[in-house]
Amino acid sequence: MTARDENGAAVAPGGATPYWPTPLAARIYASIGGLFVYVRAMAVFLVIWHLVSLWIGNPILLPSPIAAAEALVDLTRQGEVFSNVVASLTRLGTSFALAILLGVPLGFAMGLSRNVFAMVDPLIELLRPISGIAWIPLGMFILGVGEALPTAIMFYGAFFPIVINTVVGVRSVNPGLVQAARVLGVGRAHIVRHVIWPAALPNILVGARLGAGAGWMAMVAAELIGAPSGLGFAVEWYRELLMTPSVLAFVFLIGLLGYLFDRLLRWLQRVLTPWAQTQGGAL
Amino acid sequence: MEALDQAAPKIRLDGISKEYIVPRTGQRTLAIADVSLDIVQGEFLCIVGPSGCGKSTILNMIAGLAEPSAGTVAMDGAPIRAPGSERGVVFQDYALFPWKTVRENIEFGPRFRSDARLGAAERDKLVRHYIDLVSLTGAEHKYPHELSGGMRQRCAFARALANEPEVLLMDEPFAALDAQTRLILQEELLRIWGEDLPRAERKTVIFITHGIDEAVFLADRVAVMSNHPGRIKTVMDIDLPRPRRESLRATSEFQTLADEIWQLIRREAYEATIDRR
Repeated sequence: MTARDENGAAVAPGGATPYWPTPLAARIYASIGGLFVYVRAMAVFLVIWHLVSLWIGNPILLPSPIAAAEALVDLTRQGEVFSNVVASLTRLGTSFALAILLGVPLGFAMGLSRNVFAMVDPLIELLRPISGIAWIPLGMFILGVGEALPTAIMFYGAFFPIVINTVVGVRSVNPGLVQAARVLGVGRAHIVRHVIWPAALPNILVGARLGAGAGWMAMVAAELIGAPSGLGFAVEWYRELLMTPSVLAFVFLIGLLGYLFDRLLRWLQRVLTPWAQTQGGAL
Repeated sequence: MEALDQAAPKIRLDGISKEYIVPRTGQRTLAIADVSLDIVQGEFLCIVGPSGCGKSTILNMIAGLAEPSAGTVAMDGAPIRAPGSERGVVFQDYALFPWKTVRENIEFGPRFRSDARLGAAERDKLVRHYIDLVSLTGAEHKYPHELSGGMRQRCAFARALANEPEVLLMDEPFAALDAQTRLILQEELLRIWGEDLPRAERKTVIFITHGIDEAVFLADRVAVMSNHPGRIKTVMDIDLPRPRRESLRATSEFQTLADEIWQLIRREAYEATIDRR
């Protein structure tokens, strides 16, 4: 082949690049532009919030964003934020890891074997529509207030999206690729490892993202009543003390951390499955 | 031609039929009826026919991916029941593994097939050889989505070759390419196949196409199929000299052969295109 660029990307011969804007400068400008759009949207929201809080005039019902920010700074300084963040993230980590460790193999077995699918799927379809929150009262009976209850409820939320997307991933493997491996004389074990697993991986990661989101949402509900620590617990604690700015500070943290965890998983998707162009998902 | 008929067949299709049962209505459809054909060692056989005549089904049966409803498919006298590394396949859509680079795709068979016990060094040499053979040197570490159609095709071809099969099955491998690339790859295919080698050292190739020119240019024999149900109408010898070059297409012998085949499938090709059933 000649030295032509198969990717269609502009690679000028001799490495001649235009002087301005240099790639780095262009990137900086692009990110400043993106930041501006982001800040503008946030500013509009904050101004409206502030005006509404002035109009209501009751800091217990709705404090101003300034009061909430001050509360966040205070709580950070006292270190109270960190202990609760660590408690919640530990639970997320434990329950998410458990959901992956159990959900992915189960999804694989269901995707590969019709018998396993026929046995397990009816149960899953029955349990899936039940929100994890519905199990909290029963969970308090069985597990009591502590680490086990929120972890279990978060696991419940994360488990089903992971199983179902794994099944979808395994089932939607292009049969042509499996045939291509078979005609090369490759055995079943290698086909599962080197064809089905990578082909299903994009869907599995979509399931992981959905599962992490569902787990994180279930966490707040579980910690509100079933835990002695964590972000949800803090929200409830400061509500009882009528310290609404602190309540809002923790609510903000819940959103921020959930968003950051999703960004982490999205980054993993890009790193682990660079060949997957689109990221669709079931559920 | 070196005595095609005397040799024992490499692949023998003996009275094969394929019947489909439409799931909803239970209606039986005969896709292929009573096809018998012998393919000898080192032969390049093309199968042409109108779309839907069961060409690909026949190829899948030889590959071991499908079973005939009646009759037998055998290789070297032993019936074919499952896919095996002695029969390599190049698929129409290439079926490259998108998560593997060109190199890893080509290495796939030699590395993972059940009976493969090549050392890493030997495997490396083998893979390098086939990368060079199909002129993909320099693109080894690209992923399939970064390649042009022609490069993907050559990668799929190298993947099949690197597994060192005795028989190469090709299912309309050039169908998705533009006309110029197709012409170039046809000549490349003949070069890689080894036109100037003695017949015993060549691979046996079964090549499905709907391009009549392509079939005449490549093949030792062309099997012409008819539709509804799929049968072999005629097997034509293509007595054109090898090695074959681009200039061959302009000769009157070439044109005559191509026209003969076209006359054979013309009526059915029309029916298949204009009113199906």
